[in-house]
Amino acid sequence: MPRSVWKGPFFVALPGLKQALTQNIPVRTNARACTILPSFVGLKFQIHNGKDYIPLSVTEEMVGHKLGEFAPTRKRFNYRQTKNR
Amino acid sequence: MLHLLGVNLPDQKLVQYALPLFYGIGQKAALKILGSLSIHKACRISELTETQINQLSSLLSDMTIESDLRKQIRANIMHHRSIGSYVGRRHAMALPVRGQNTQNNARTARRLNGRWLKSEKREYSSSARSFFPSVDSPFEAFFNRKWF
Repeated sequence: MPRSVWKGPFFVALPGLKQALTQNIPVRTNARACTILPSFVGLKFQIHNGKDYIPLSVTEEMVGHKLGEFAPTRKRFNYRQTKNR
Repeated sequence: MLHLLGVNLPDQKLVQYALPLFYGIGQKAALKILGSLSIHKACRISELTETQINQLSSLLSDMTIESDLRKQIRANIMHHRSIGSYVGRRHAMALPVRGQNTQNNARTARRLNGRWLKSEKREYSSSARSFFPSVDSPFEAFFNRKWF
């Protein structure tokens, strides 16, 4: 079920957004649940995936999605025959 | 046979069971269409009058069914793929998208999910294979192994 319209999109107040836009600094954040707002377009983010920060530059098509959708949290298992290779 | 918008509807079928032959119309939608055109439920395709057929075709041409719907679905998936979201990734890997288990089965996803991005998927798998260094033989690998 989608979120109620009257609530508006969920977003977290990210510090230093204006500065990031002008100086092109990536915004480092753990707020994966934050919706990408139209004002974020052109910004660079570093989104936490539980281990490290995944870089993302926001484009217009991404508006309305959550930040966490672009930072995968799981690593695909692959079998290695030897440990030290 | 009644030919409507590229789909053949057999004469002897009840209208409410013939309409789901369209991609994008199920039982519910078929019954709604019958209600809106005031066709009775036991009516067969052969018993439809000319005006009813015209009404039906005009109603169906307004709905997003068949190739329009397929195109729409494909566009939705390609949107996810192009922005590189989690949903798009899972589609490309032909795995379940909504958090289902993948330890066993996941057969529906394997059957359906990859097909929209077939050509792209092939590239993906070939690049993944070349990424791993090929081991010449298991024995050689065993002897070359650094134990500490």
